[in-house]
Amino acid sequence: MITGLLMPAPLGPTVFIVDDDEAVRKAVSRLLRSAGMAVAVFASPGEFLAQYDPVTSGCVVLDITMPDFDGLQLQATLGEKGSMLPIIFLTGHGDVSKSVQAMKRGAFDFLSKPVKDKDLLTAVRAAIERNAVARQQQAQLSAIRARLDSLTPREREVLEHVVSGKLNKQIAGDLGITKATVKMHRAHVMAKMGVQSVAELARLTERCGIRGNGQ
Amino acid sequence: MSWITIVWSINVGACLTLATMYLAVWCRERQSFVHLLFSCIAASAALIAAYELQLIRADTPEAYGAILRWRPLSTWVLVLSLVAFTRLYLRAGRSWMALSACGLQTLTVIVNFVFTPNLYYGEITAVRQIPWGGETASIPLGTPSPWSLLNQATLLLLLAFFVDATITVWRRGDRERALIVGGTTTFFGAIVAAQFALVILGIIEVPFFASFAYLGIVVALGYQLCNDAVRAADLASELQVGEERFRRVVEAAPSAMIMVNHEGQITLANLQAEKTFGYSREELLGRPIEMLVPERLRSGYRDFRHDYLCHPQARPMGAEQELFGQRKDGSEVPVEIGLSPIHTSNGPLVLASIVDITQRKLAELEAARQHHDLAHLARVSTVGELSNSLAHELTHPITAILSNAQAAQRFLAHDDVDLDEVRDILNDIVTQDQRAGEVIHRLRLLLRKGEPQAQCDDVDLNEVIRDVVKLMRSDLINRNVTVDTDLAQNLPAVTGDRVQLQQVLLNLMVNGCEAMADHYSSECRLLIASQLQNGAVRVSVTDRGGGIPEKNMEQVFERFFTTKKEGMGLGLSVCRTIIDAHRGKIWATNNVGSGATFHFRLPFVGVGKRQ
Repeated sequence: MITGLLMPAPLGPTVFIVDDDEAVRKAVSRLLRSAGMAVAVFASPGEFLAQYDPVTSGCVVLDITMPDFDGLQLQATLGEKGSMLPIIFLTGHGDVSKSVQAMKRGAFDFLSKPVKDKDLLTAVRAAIERNAVARQQQAQLSAIRARLDSLTPREREVLEHVVSGKLNKQIAGDLGITKATVKMHRAHVMAKMGVQSVAELARLTERCGIRGNGQ
Repeated sequence: MSWITIVWSINVGACLTLATMYLAVWCRERQSFVHLLFSCIAASAALIAAYELQLIRADTPEAYGAILRWRPLSTWVLVLSLVAFTRLYLRAGRSWMALSACGLQTLTVIVNFVFTPNLYYGEITAVRQIPWGGETASIPLGTPSPWSLLNQATLLLLLAFFVDATITVWRRGDRERALIVGGTTTFFGAIVAAQFALVILGIIEVPFFASFAYLGIVVALGYQLCNDAVRAADLASELQVGEERFRRVVEAAPSAMIMVNHEGQITLANLQAEKTFGYSREELLGRPIEMLVPERLRSGYRDFRHDYLCHPQARPMGAEQELFGQRKDGSEVPVEIGLSPIHTSNGPLVLASIVDITQRKLAELEAARQHHDLAHLARVSTVGELSNSLAHELTHPITAILSNAQAAQRFLAHDDVDLDEVRDILNDIVTQDQRAGEVIHRLRLLLRKGEPQAQCDDVDLNEVIRDVVKLMRSDLINRNVTVDTDLAQNLPAVTGDRVQLQQVLLNLMVNGCEAMADHYSSECRLLIASQLQNGAVRVSVTDRGGGIPEKNMEQVFERFFTTKKEGMGLGLSVCRTIIDAHRGKIWATNNVGSGATFHFRLPFVGVGKRQ
């Protein structure tokens, strides 16, 4: 069986199966395909990394014990690369210590071999869902960041003061500018960020980790 | 009464007594002609003494001449007997001398009867009475016959013959006989010769007393014969004691002793032989030894016996071979046999000492069973250590089977069923089921106890290596150990127990892995190599661990020796037991770089095969 991308679906989510045992790989991929999922199989973590594209959505079904480069190492590498793909680990008997490590690093789920179809499909669907939500949030966040990036430095300063709930007069005092100027910057910020109220602005900026400058 | 009469009569009596005694001896032992000859010598000596007494008492020349005329006849008997005795008893004296002396003596007798009055005198003119020791004795007066020189020549030739015989015997080393028989005969012979010459030539005037010289000879010979008889009796009794002792030793021997003659017949069997084989002695003696050899081994045994008699030497029979005897009831008994050839005048005999080793065989079997049990225990324990990995080996096919089957169920629930897909799935399920079956089969073989010494197949060690590597696959992954193999092609098979050999390799591999784990080796690699070397197959397992301290090099194979906290110290000792039982050798060496190598070698099929 040729490993690599099967049924490439750039738009839909893909389940990436990484397992050194060909028979297991093939059987699990069949099971997922029987549920109408797009599947890509890889015989080793190395093979998977070679074809890894951060754009693709879906999840990873990963065998925890493999020679040379095992599932844990792949999890770590993906983490370093900032991948958002949830990882479902397939574990055999006696992989408890490895499982604990994987858990600490934020594994999505653990399924022990032999795995029941319902368990696997449920987990995979949940992971794909999680990935989709995460991607959506990520997209929103990117949009907010883009808007934030379009602000001038002075507008950014004004924004930080606004979200901390200060009045125009206080802001003018703090920044050493006139009240009219503050008003102008404030209008620009609201327009650039595409919000109607200060409350809305505060919610957006909070998601980006920006706190008000409110001393 | 006249002392002359008394002394000469005693002489006659003594000689007659001896003659009668040895005649009686000869009668009992007809082959012993020496005794008959001695009897003749003594009898003729007695006759001569009787003649001499008559001569002393003769009062007319006619009577003297007539008596003297008969005397050479008895001398003839005496001389012939004495010569024959010397030749027969001393086995010495030149035959031409003996024949010449006898011829001359015979001629003397003939001449004696041709001339009157006798050989010695041409004429006896008178008999003179001379005083002799207080009595009177007759001596002849007359002219000596020239023919008496013939008598002297005969006596001289006889003396030469005796001297020659005496020297021969002396040189031969038998000094006692040379002195007593040869020396005495020569000495008294010389006296006789001298007296005859002197008396007949009239140089001295004494009656004939040569009979005492003859008596001396008779006594000396009688003494020697008597000596011989005593010595023979001593020897006989010694022999009897020796034989009795030998018989007792053999009888008391803790092993069965059987003596066999050249024809293969049993000539001796002891008590233990009766016990071992269940036959009574009467049933054994004189019967062929083959009756104690099991039917199936008889033809080979006959060849062996023939070969042995060609090159007899003391040695164990059938070294390296298992020997069996057959009891009276037909059952077989395992035995060990030592053979010693005994050379006798009746041809070579072979003394076989036979030990019944039934008990030892039972003990060996028991020991083998214990080794087997221990090996099994160690194997189960090793497999137990590997159980996680082995379970893992099963997990793969079972996972594949379950997922495949459930995928098939789902495909079948679709509206347009892809039958090709379902067919592929079913094929895969079958394959994976077989795969799981193989894992279980291998495991079951390894855990099976079996019978000691029962599994002796031709084993390909490369196959053993591949099997064990497969078995340990998951364990090796878990331990992060890479295995390299360097297997010789066309490796000949060895004879042995496949499972036990797998166990040895398994142990060595697990040991190597543990050594590397203990040493925190940066690169965990095991190298397993097989090669053909000096008529044996050699397998080595090389690790990259910490190696073995030199002081422990010898100990590592000892039972209960371990450097691990949780080790029982059984693994390597069981390996050695197994390899020993396969007539092989196991040893360890340290590598030049790091780590140790364990080697074992086994003879391959066809090398050192027993006959």
